[in-house]
Amino acid sequence: MKQSKTSSVWRKITESKLFFPFSALALILLFDLIFVPNFFAIQLRDGNLYGNVIDIFRSGSTVILLAIGMTLVIATGGVDLSVGAVMAIAASIAALMMNPYVLATQLSPETQRLINDPNFTNAPLWAVILVTLFVASICGLWNGILVAYGKIQPMVATLILMIAGRGIAQLITNGVRIQIFYDPYSFIANGWLIVPFPLYIVAFMFVLTWFLTRRTAIALFIESVGTNARSSFFSGIDEKRIKLLAYTFCGFCAGMAGLVASSNIKTSDANNIGLTLELDAILAVVIGGTLMAGGRFSLLASIIGALVMQATTLSMYALGVPANAVMAIKGLVVILVILLYSEQVREFLRRVTTQKKEA
Amino acid sequence: MMNKNMAAFISRNRRFIPLFATGALFFLAYTVGALNYQGMRDPQIFLNLFRTSPFLLIAAIGGTFVILTGGIDLSVGGVIALTTVASAALLRAGWDPWVVMLLMLMMGIALGATIGGFITYLKVQPFIATLAALWVTRGLCFFISDDSISIDSPIYKILSQTKILIPGLSNPITKEGDYISLLVVLALVVFGLAMYIAHYTPFGRTVYAIGGNEQSARLMGLPVNTTKVLVYTLSGFCSALAGITLSIYVGSGHGLYAQGFELTVIAAVVMGGTMLTGGAGYVFGTLFGVLILGVTQTLIQFNGQLSSWWTNIVIGALTLVFIGVQSFLAAQKTRQPGSQAKGGLLATLRKPKTLLLGGGAIVVVILAVFVLNATKTGLTPTACEMKPFRQDQAASLIKAGAVLAYERHGGPNCIDELYGVYPDGQIKGDQGDEKVEKQATAAEISALLSGIDKLGWFTEEFYSTSHTPCGQCYTYFISVSYQGQEKTVQAVDGGTDAPADYWQVVSLINGVIPHFTSAP
Repeated sequence: MKQSKTSSVWRKITESKLFFPFSALALILLFDLIFVPNFFAIQLRDGNLYGNVIDIFRSGSTVILLAIGMTLVIATGGVDLSVGAVMAIAASIAALMMNPYVLATQLSPETQRLINDPNFTNAPLWAVILVTLFVASICGLWNGILVAYGKIQPMVATLILMIAGRGIAQLITNGVRIQIFYDPYSFIANGWLIVPFPLYIVAFMFVLTWFLTRRTAIALFIESVGTNARSSFFSGIDEKRIKLLAYTFCGFCAGMAGLVASSNIKTSDANNIGLTLELDAILAVVIGGTLMAGGRFSLLASIIGALVMQATTLSMYALGVPANAVMAIKGLVVILVILLYSEQVREFLRRVTTQKKEA
Repeated sequence: MMNKNMAAFISRNRRFIPLFATGALFFLAYTVGALNYQGMRDPQIFLNLFRTSPFLLIAAIGGTFVILTGGIDLSVGGVIALTTVASAALLRAGWDPWVVMLLMLMMGIALGATIGGFITYLKVQPFIATLAALWVTRGLCFFISDDSISIDSPIYKILSQTKILIPGLSNPITKEGDYISLLVVLALVVFGLAMYIAHYTPFGRTVYAIGGNEQSARLMGLPVNTTKVLVYTLSGFCSALAGITLSIYVGSGHGLYAQGFELTVIAAVVMGGTMLTGGAGYVFGTLFGVLILGVTQTLIQFNGQLSSWWTNIVIGALTLVFIGVQSFLAAQKTRQPGSQAKGGLLATLRKPKTLLLGGGAIVVVILAVFVLNATKTGLTPTACEMKPFRQDQAASLIKAGAVLAYERHGGPNCIDELYGVYPDGQIKGDQGDEKVEKQATAAEISALLSGIDKLGWFTEEFYSTSHTPCGQCYTYFISVSYQGQEKTVQAVDGGTDAPADYWQVVSLINGVIPHFTSAP
């Protein structure tokens, strides 16, 4: 009797959405514990915390932000490939608003001031953030319109912005990598309040999204659209508007990630900001257990998924694997994860274990 | 009566509409280009469309088959890059070129078969499986080598440099005239084979059947699983072949080659009229898809004033238009299932609308680009010739005690100015027919120099970038001599490749030097 109770608790744990991402994260951290000396060392400097573990959160913040938006999109049964390009657009707009003098043919006196005075900016910070997020949301809205009303496959619809988006970002800055000298802006990614400032942004976005979805019926609607768009339409859910909302929100999150990324490197690098990050975000969601076909989702699981990706990357760096080569290892991790989720493989494992029991 | 016949004809050939639109767009774009630019009337420019993209055609053929089954292959770019790096590394190690090529093809086949197996038997989504393959292959490149490896094999050289002269357009005795390369012939052979496979073999028909409806294909007893694995294997083979072609074409291997190539391939296939949902499309259309991409690039190059990033925007817009036409056609198909008599009438009403809509959108895009051209051309008469740095003159300035030599040339008026800045505050400018001079304070000059130094002038952050500038852009050369160090860095504005801080340096210098009265 007691045994069955513990086994039912165990089953509850293993069947929880969070079990798999957490165990994957634990596995990678265990790997670090053994192979990377001092991986868990945390230092206290000027009242702020530093260390590899903190760094996972700090450098993973952009992927986490993307993963939050991507979770909703994937839950509706879609995918957004354009988030990387939207990040580049957002970064370009933010940088241009703070430092438009670069594009002038004649040297303006503001340039000197910009270099010398870290508190000088063309547009105030709140305006920069608002406009950037607005434009990013418009990008998301465009994707949403194509998918929901244009009835184009999500992968293809967002592919268009993915291809054109970087071109648009270049167009905005006229191909110049605009430097950002404004100090308050660089605080977004480089500031520390005991823990890195991006962590607060991530926490805020998570709580906000969680409230907006789980405290209202939106999450339910999204899940029902992802499970079966047709039947949810017949049960009175405006399937199109839900999709529109998901894509717009994803664009918003991408804009947020663009702000953090450009603040981190203090330039608008339209060629490289957010490059291949859409893949990281999608994989974070997949690791988090949300099916690519849509349906039930868990924001927390996606965030853990993003941390798994980031922890893998950082452990490889710590081991001295070259940056570009880390991709191969990420790819292998992904294949492993997919195999673990694959019904066929699970079926196979189940058969093996039951056979053992019988024997 | 005539109208009815016409409608019936269109109705019968509805599936050719996207193909026809692609072909028409290509010829239209080329004609517009040829009318606007003298240079594009040269037959060699037309042949260059093939000569510069055999690898794209080969890879797109593999992609066409995959997309016809309703799948997608995102691993193309990675496999191509891995092929270039691996073959370059093996050739450097002294392997026989033919053995290397064979090995690479086998590697492509093995990779494709593995991906296909994942997708078919483990039911992994094609999108995710090929994405993982893209990462693994691209990452593996950097395990082989971080840098680009050059290929010195004589066989590769022969393959890349052999010119096949076009009869009638060339002189066979002097071996001059219009030509294509061996690689083009290879691509066209692959293209011919692919057309044969797609339309005249059981395999090809199964591919179409799977794309149309996988379930039905299975129920019909077609070898669905085997065919799906084979399709990805074929794509892997094509990618590897494209990789070999690319390594022959550029004569080196590097892990960063073919970045984003998978998207170009998809764009080419979609423009070729293949439905992304699978089941409809032609390998023949893919050729036009590739050519349209080539023409877009050529037009932008000939224009000279449009920056290279316009290529991406135009490709994105074209993809959108073609997908729009496709989904419009697909929506029509479902709206009138099978009803011939009614469909005939409705089709008469609707089809011209389709053509009008699709065609109209295409025309709008092209017009937009050319109106843009026209307005820009009105402002800037000619692009300047790229001039070499007045190296000796600048060096002599530095030798004569100048701490900074600054040259700027190009722009709408084709200026060429050279400034020398001396530590005592004297600044001399020379524009050929006009000279200016200015006396600044020594403190200003030293502030300028330390500012430049602080931006990292003498670090590796500052590197020269050189390419043909856009029509009204300037090319800059700056030599700085500061605290015993001396360095010259060139950059072109309008490009994104120059070091970011370079423009800060230019701004700093512009703040100090005098300006010519005639200069803009």
